[in-house]
Amino acid sequence: MTPSAINSYSWLSLKLITLLGIAVYAVFAVVMVKQERSMAHVLEEGFEPILRMLTYIHCALTVVLFILALIII
Amino acid sequence: MADTPNVNVSLSDTPIQKPMGPFTSFAIHPSKVHFETQKKEETVVLFLRQHMIVNVPWASLAIVMAFVPTILPLIWKMTGIPVSLPVGYIIAGTAWWYIATFGFALAKFLGWFINIYIVTNERIVDIDFYFLLYKHFSAANLVKIQDISYTTKGIFGSFLNYGNVTIETAGEAPHLVFEQVPNPECVVETIRSLMEKHSHNL
Repeated sequence: MTPSAINSYSWLSLKLITLLGIAVYAVFAVVMVKQERSMAHVLEEGFEPILRMLTYIHCALTVVLFILALIII
Repeated sequence: MADTPNVNVSLSDTPIQKPMGPFTSFAIHPSKVHFETQKKEETVVLFLRQHMIVNVPWASLAIVMAFVPTILPLIWKMTGIPVSLPVGYIIAGTAWWYIATFGFALAKFLGWFINIYIVTNERIVDIDFYFLLYKHFSAANLVKIQDISYTTKGIFGSFLNYGNVTIETAGEAPHLVFEQVPNPECVVETIRSLMEKHSHNL
């Protein structure tokens, strides 16, 4: 293998690892959304919509980041 | 402290209901609070979370984390190590760091927000979520309570008036612990009063 091929494989590996890392983080974001739903089922006290919105924003930002990473790296 | 009032809890049948805030950790007769398995005739007398002070360590860490993308390049420049990353990685990495900081703070806040202790006119309830995945719901009827005590530890505990309330029961669960709740003395007195009232009604 030529040095340039090794170099390009290294960058490809780094890109895949980065995308995998963001994907794993996205799973965590989804778990948080599910957890908030579960909590809202257990307890009603009036602030569930705000928390739900925050967990959805967090999840959406993670998805946007994954798409952004796919495009720019 | 605004959320730790040193007041006697009214145990009347038609109590004045108090509105809740998102950071409420001590509420007497809270309005609009309903929990899973609550019976129709059951009313919430006390609603408790851990004292707000327990959030200070992670909130401080989140603030520090928020400044890392600003400080790190300066430190890097000072070390003089020549490292060149493509711009895409820097943008994605910085964006991920801010999202992760937001996620960390949100997860920690949820962890505090959803670990609650409730005292009703019939029983005491402890609802715990461990790291967002495991839910633990335990309850003990007032008639099964054998002993109740509280401890306040350290300078902060004494100064801010928070501590652990331990409730020994005769049920399957050997005891329930309300950890680092505000105004533990008031909690103990309230539960004792409810137990007395409950035993008179029997």
